[in-house]
Amino acid sequence: MGGELRYEMGQNAYIKLVLHALKHKTSAVNGILVGRLSAVNDVVEISDSIPLFHSQIGLLPSLEIALMMVEEYFSEKGLSIVGYFHANERFDDAELSNVAKNIGDHIHRYFPQSALLLLDNKKLKAWSKGKDRSPVMQLYTKDSSRSWKLVGVDGSSRLTIREPSANIVLLDYISSKKWEDLVDFDDHLDDISKDWLNPELFK
Amino acid sequence: MLSREDEIRLNELENQVDNGGGGTWEYLSLLRKLKLRRSDKVLTHGLSLLNDPKKRSALAAEEWTLYEQVAVAAMDCQNFDLAKDCINVLQKKFPESKRVGRLEAMLLEAKGSWAEAEKAYSSLLEDNPFDQAVHKRRVAMAKSQGNISGAIEWLNKYLDIFMADHDAWRELAEIYVSQQMYKQAAFCYEELILAQPMIPLYHLAYADVLYTLGGLENLQTAKKYYASTIDLTGGKNARALYGICLCTYAIGQLSKGRNKEDKDGSELQSLAATALERDYKYRAAGKLSILTSTLRGLKL
Repeated sequence: MGGELRYEMGQNAYIKLVLHALKHKTSAVNGILVGRLSAVNDVVEISDSIPLFHSQIGLLPSLEIALMMVEEYFSEKGLSIVGYFHANERFDDAELSNVAKNIGDHIHRYFPQSALLLLDNKKLKAWSKGKDRSPVMQLYTKDSSRSWKLVGVDGSSRLTIREPSANIVLLDYISSKKWEDLVDFDDHLDDISKDWLNPELFK
Repeated sequence: MLSREDEIRLNELENQVDNGGGGTWEYLSLLRKLKLRRSDKVLTHGLSLLNDPKKRSALAAEEWTLYEQVAVAAMDCQNFDLAKDCINVLQKKFPESKRVGRLEAMLLEAKGSWAEAEKAYSSLLEDNPFDQAVHKRRVAMAKSQGNISGAIEWLNKYLDIFMADHDAWRELAEIYVSQQMYKQAAFCYEELILAQPMIPLYHLAYADVLYTLGGLENLQTAKKYYASTIDLTGGKNARALYGICLCTYAIGQLSKGRNKEDKDGSELQSLAATALERDYKYRAAGKLSILTSTLRGLKL
């Protein structure tokens, strides 16, 4: 591969994933990154995200349905699944679990430049007091290697948020408990009238 | 699992209490009864009762129950000083109590003093080997240290004694799933289905695990359990309806060209697909077209 591939995430995509993790503080959660590869600038543009599950993440059936539907919906818009987001159950667990790697592998098969993002709990906790603009997620990629590798210790340089104000907006949402309105795919399967696209969330 | 009525009642009460409309004690009692974890709410509202001498004395003997409830909530919210205060009050009132002893051990656990907490739990178990709550704390403690194999071991030991504890079987199944130990998880769900054959959740989870395991035989069994889930829920469970479609498709892929025995299989699939489409049409019309094309992708 040529130059260093960068990942640029839209504010709303970013905020949805963090709110999802905050909504289900006591369980592992995951989500899907949607976007496209912009070959000109060597950038993967992550324009949207879909919060998926907060229970029994290791089971296949609901994941398969979710992936099919997400792909179905976004392919019309010229977008595809470009990565995976995972947040661990325990605060001090900073490891990428096998389940996360397996789902990441699956997405990687269809999109070789895919990103795997892990919520950085420590940073999220420390950051809510500071003014850090970098995302509270760690970036893993597979580039040429066979396994997922954490990109740089300050991997933030290859993962950026498009809007510089994202963390400030997020902080605001956290204080107003915005996550209460967030719907994930689990919620949709329990009650199909709940929309996993969260069209009302940022209105 | 929360019943619909409980959920409505709870939300009403929570709203009322949040807006200062009274009913705090009733709300806190309901949380205890339903065993719900709303620690931040318990902390705010429980404290407002405890800090008001008039309201507190109106609780009579229930006052101590509230101290216990607030103590646990405070630990959950990392407010250790407050937890300690509550425990001290209880300690004074019930100096020899094992139940208060358990709270003290839990406080050690909450602070992350694992070795001390372990010692405290062990000594509690020496006095009473059948204290379920203490056994469970041990499992939780292993889990929170990231010692999953330890948690599995404690939980299995616990289930040797308390075989009829369904929640514990379920917890064990979920831990196995998180470790991708699907065969072991399937065994737990088999136990649960045997013990409580009418609970659709177990049928569904069992089917999900079998589907994840894969292989013709597992897929065929999974399909049967998705079907029984549909039966038990009167066709109201979207996950089970999707499950039928997934299984039929996967079975078709595996037995391609070998035999055409699965005629009734595809019939079941189109029934499930029709039920889903009808549901979406009424309750999620905006997603109907995605559903239809997804289902089309699963046709053989």
